[in-house]
Amino acid sequence: MGIEDFIEKFAFAIEMEPAALAADTDFKALENWDSLNTLSIIAMADADYDVAISGDDILNSRTISDLMKTIQERKA
Amino acid sequence: MNAIAGIAMRGVAAAVPTKIARTSEYEVLSPEERQRLQKATGIGAHRMSPPDQCTSDLCQAAAEHLLEHLGWARDSVGALILLTQTPDQPIPATSIVLQDKLGLSTKCIAFDINLGCSAYPYGLATVASLMLTLNIPRALMLMGDISRVCEYKDRTAWPLFGDAGSATALELDPVAPPIHLDLMSDGAGRNVIIIPGGGLASRLPPGDEPIQAVPGNDGVPRRPGNLLLRGADIFSFAITKVPSSIERTLAAAGKTSAEVDFLVLHQANKMINDTIAKKARFGADVSLSTLADYGNTSSASIPLTLCAHASHFDRDRLIAACGFGVGLSWGTALLTVPAGSVLPVIESDHVY
Repeated sequence: MGIEDFIEKFAFAIEMEPAALAADTDFKALENWDSLNTLSIIAMADADYDVAISGDDILNSRTISDLMKTIQERKA
Repeated sequence: MNAIAGIAMRGVAAAVPTKIARTSEYEVLSPEERQRLQKATGIGAHRMSPPDQCTSDLCQAAAEHLLEHLGWARDSVGALILLTQTPDQPIPATSIVLQDKLGLSTKCIAFDINLGCSAYPYGLATVASLMLTLNIPRALMLMGDISRVCEYKDRTAWPLFGDAGSATALELDPVAPPIHLDLMSDGAGRNVIIIPGGGLASRLPPGDEPIQAVPGNDGVPRRPGNLLLRGADIFSFAITKVPSSIERTLAAAGKTSAEVDFLVLHQANKMINDTIAKKARFGADVSLSTLADYGNTSSASIPLTLCAHASHFDRDRLIAACGFGVGLSWGTALLTVPAGSVLPVIESDHVY
């Protein structure tokens, strides 16, 4: 699981351009972030990585890279 | 897993109130947010009961309509079971009140079951088992909920839930095809959908201060009797645990998804339901939905969705009915819906 690939999937899930996001983006501070995006990210983790993440997993991740680590750990 | 033979579905009816609340008119959200919510959830509107209408009223309207259609004598109904999260009062059970209001015999067994989104498969399992064990020829299975437990300002709950009541008629029939069932529970998720107040666990010392709304972590003020919904956790649960329940049921029946005429999911939201249908290998065209017009109607969602598609049931249909949510509780029933047994949705603001 590479960070570029993850950012691309993350961006697609929340309907943003990948170029607007980076590994250290504080994603919950994004202007268009809302609770529906949380659902999109859970769906992405399930569909693309076959990993179940909770609302708290997203709440406890600050950056996109934090969330990728959580998914990686869950997958291992 | 398990199958019940010898019980036939004879009819399904559903009733909704006339007042329509549109997502596009929900004042708590900006017009852009309303659009976004509608697109993601698929919920365009829901029905709202008048302030004095209760679960019993909508279920009674559906039951009266169904009994009339079937021509069943009132004293021929041996059991009346109501599955609801919003009974008329804590005690007595609303089903017992309905035994009297519907003019059923005092020999009729009546009790409530505290289940919501998973009500349909659980209700079929319970009522069919009871009928077979106690030799009850005819039974009514009622399901309904009223969404007044949601705080209007709660954008995570209020725009999603609608009001509806339903009635399903079941009859002993030695040649009825088997009903295959898969039923699951996980109380570790009890806080995911909860009304924290109203029970003895949460009751404040009596006679103290008036009940007040307290802002939650999300800033939404809720009273202890309001519904609290953790949408992200429900979503995660639903897409990971529910498809396998459908698969187990099909496997037990020796069927594939292609042999099932319709998938009838509890109507949670479009993202959840589309994901479950896809993972369980059902095409979007066979997954019936009423989200656009009625939203999430809790225990009534599966029978209401059948009734809203009554014209599809002009011949015998094999359906997978799958409910999931509050508890957590989930399950699937694979059953045959006989031709002509599904009645179109009726409207009722009646208070009996």
